[in-house]
Amino acid sequence: MRQGLRLQRLPSVQPGVALGMRALAIAIVVLAASLVLLAAGEDPLALGAQLVTATFSSTFGMEDFGLLVIPLILTGLSVAVGQQVGAWNIGAEGQFLLGAFAATTVGLFVPGPAVLILPLMIAAGALGGLVWILVPTLARAFAGVNELITTLLLNFVAALLVYYVSTGPWRDRVGMSNSSTARITVEVPEFWGLVHWGLPIAIVMALAAAATLAFSRWGYEVRLSGSNPSAAAYAGIAVRRHIVTVMLLSGLIAGVAGAFELAGTVHRLQGGISNNFGYLGIMVAVLARNSCVGVIFTGTLMAFILNSGIILQTQGITTSAVLAMTGAILFLTAIGDELAHYRIARAGARGS
Amino acid sequence: MIAPQDRYEPAPGTAPLVQLKGIAKYFPGVAANQDVDLEVLPGEIHALLGENGAGKSTLMNILTGIYQPDAGEIVIDGYAREFASPLEAIAAGIGMVHQHFKLVPAFTVAENIHLGWSETPRLASARKLEARTRALAQRFNLHVRADALVSELSTGEQQRVEILRVLARQARVLILDEPTAVLTPAEARALFKALREFASRGNAVIFISHKLEEVLEISDRITILRGGRRIATHDAAECNHRMLARLMVGREIVLADMRQRPVGAAPRSAAPVLRLESVSALNDGGNTALHDVTLDVHAGEIVGVAGVAGNGQRELSQVLTGLRRTKSGRIIVDGTPLQAAGAAEFGELGIGHIPEDRLRSGLAPSMSVATNAVMREYKKPPIGTGGLFRSRAATMLAREIAKAADVSVPDFSMPVRNLSGGNQQRLVARREMRIAHKVLVAAYPSRGLDVGAINTMLRYIVELRDAGAGIVLISEELEELLNLSDRIVVLYEGRLMGALDNERIDVEQIGLLMGGRALQQEAA
Repeated sequence: MRQGLRLQRLPSVQPGVALGMRALAIAIVVLAASLVLLAAGEDPLALGAQLVTATFSSTFGMEDFGLLVIPLILTGLSVAVGQQVGAWNIGAEGQFLLGAFAATTVGLFVPGPAVLILPLMIAAGALGGLVWILVPTLARAFAGVNELITTLLLNFVAALLVYYVSTGPWRDRVGMSNSSTARITVEVPEFWGLVHWGLPIAIVMALAAAATLAFSRWGYEVRLSGSNPSAAAYAGIAVRRHIVTVMLLSGLIAGVAGAFELAGTVHRLQGGISNNFGYLGIMVAVLARNSCVGVIFTGTLMAFILNSGIILQTQGITTSAVLAMTGAILFLTAIGDELAHYRIARAGARGS
Repeated sequence: MIAPQDRYEPAPGTAPLVQLKGIAKYFPGVAANQDVDLEVLPGEIHALLGENGAGKSTLMNILTGIYQPDAGEIVIDGYAREFASPLEAIAAGIGMVHQHFKLVPAFTVAENIHLGWSETPRLASARKLEARTRALAQRFNLHVRADALVSELSTGEQQRVEILRVLARQARVLILDEPTAVLTPAEARALFKALREFASRGNAVIFISHKLEEVLEISDRITILRGGRRIATHDAAECNHRMLARLMVGREIVLADMRQRPVGAAPRSAAPVLRLESVSALNDGGNTALHDVTLDVHAGEIVGVAGVAGNGQRELSQVLTGLRRTKSGRIIVDGTPLQAAGAAEFGELGIGHIPEDRLRSGLAPSMSVATNAVMREYKKPPIGTGGLFRSRAATMLAREIAKAADVSVPDFSMPVRNLSGGNQQRLVARREMRIAHKVLVAAYPSRGLDVGAINTMLRYIVELRDAGAGIVLISEELEELLNLSDRIVVLYEGRLMGALDNERIDVEQIGLLMGGRALQQEAA
């Protein structure tokens, strides 16, 4: 006979427990970061207070924060959408860059009134993202090639392409800048302060994706295909077609994110325009448990963390600290997800 | 019957090989075992009889170190033991062949046999391992293909690999979980002979089953479990079917001839509703799995397909439901040949399918009960009008199906894997029956179910036949085929070995056909 407490594994996770574990993961990371700051001779409480006031008490801070929310919601949505058919789009970074690149092409070389050019830029961005995921998609659907590798590798190609055009042929020759294109005059109109219409559009896109998945026949087929491809095939669903469509959609969304970043926030194509938004999108999606509505919230959370990094930088703390924090959150979330499967039970107890 | 002199007589005062005392095991919400005692003597075949969920598998998982008991004691050869892992149990001579095989599909048979075995040579080429495996196979008289990948094997072949793996490790107590489910009568007899021989050397066999016939045939003593508790232990000689069935389910159940049509049932149609004409098809490996199969299914009849698993049943059921393309030949539904039709078209034509492995292909286990219940009707109103998916209508339909299936579902948004195997199977069956106006292809509908659930499943099939659908019943249970089918065809190596009218059927003849004997007669 044994006594004492032991762990029991549950077959399915209560959503509340999973959410709690996520909150706990973030709390642990914040605590750990505070301890590090304390050891480095900083005052974590004062810094924390400063972060909150700098972000939320000035319009300026709120605007900076708002501008970060847009790409993070969209890249998070891109990854979450791919996951609906069980595909890991690690290439949102590259598709984002291609979206920005394609939008720049239109902005620089197509003349016309802004009313026409702006939608064209966004459409070009969507197309750019779609083209960038096309080969990984077809390889996955028809040859069973793992999209994790192919999408990831194309990120580096995209980054080099953008570096090349922005420091080479498309370099801004008037403004004496050696690392970006000329300013593109067509802009996404502002919606609130500096924050442009990309924000409401991103939120609407996330809600639309969630609604489509939940309330359309297509969404039902996609969810079934992602959950169990052989059951979907058994029900007569064209699984391969859905993999192709959804993965292309995932790339398209990341491309739109890139186009909005270019036409709404940065206005010039430059090497670092993606700012790791594609990779952070993976985190946004994972934290949201691939819920398309969830990415609105986790994207906002991630934007706050990122924004904090920028503010901390002004206090002489390196931005790498923030990257380390995001990594730690992701890591602990993965552990928390596993732990959410367990509950503590008293061994040897009678009854259920 | 076994002659008495074959029996191993332990010396007086010998301790039992295995003694379980007051074993209990709890899972969240369930007491899987409570206060279970079991004594297994050297030289005996001890049957563990009970319905699904009676706690047989849990008890054996405790004995083999997979689970730790929450209470109770394990005594081996008179000494109390604790097994922290299956490795410790096997070292103590206790080996188990599970119902769900624990093999590595991507490894070869030889690799699986040698995996995690102390006697595996440290440096051994694939050829050496295969040679060792062949030698073992010969010694224990279990035919396996040493160089084949496990994923390519039929269920029956995989079981032989499992048994060989345990025997190779010098088990003194061999535990078999539902071993005959995938064997022909002849193979089962060969297995019984091997088990008897194994026991006669002073070893013991624990034989888990819910089949009364074979339990009476093979075992010396029988322990009956129900609801996680031990109900009784009897000498097999003192038992009969009726009494065991009563002990097992707590009520009397008789499997009977179900071929009689009630008044008002649809008659057998003159023209076939579904016809395969010289159909050949490949398996996943690209080899021919069906050779020139011609089969007529009439409305209002049940065609039984007998045969050992892995002889083309999988491919036949897939061809019949549009999941697998044919290589040659025609499929004719109601007189019209189908051209390039897929699973969706077959479903729309009124051909339902209870698949071989409901969890792998009939259900999406992590999705909700409602999502799974509407898999066949989500395109139709009221769920799927105008490209929409109306989840409220879906839940209503799911409720209707669950009611027809007599499954109580507390929450239709919970994952379907939370339901028991029997409930899942009933849901799948009811879902398919709703669309199977013309034909129902039922592959192993009673596999893994207990007597009560099997009875329900077979009643469903008969009900559908009486409503005028043609049924193709693929099964390994001869008794089930004989009780239901109007005609029986036998599949052997992808060929149909002729149709037998159930009125003048000879079980031995089916057994011979299942072993491919008719082919040899034709050749001679």
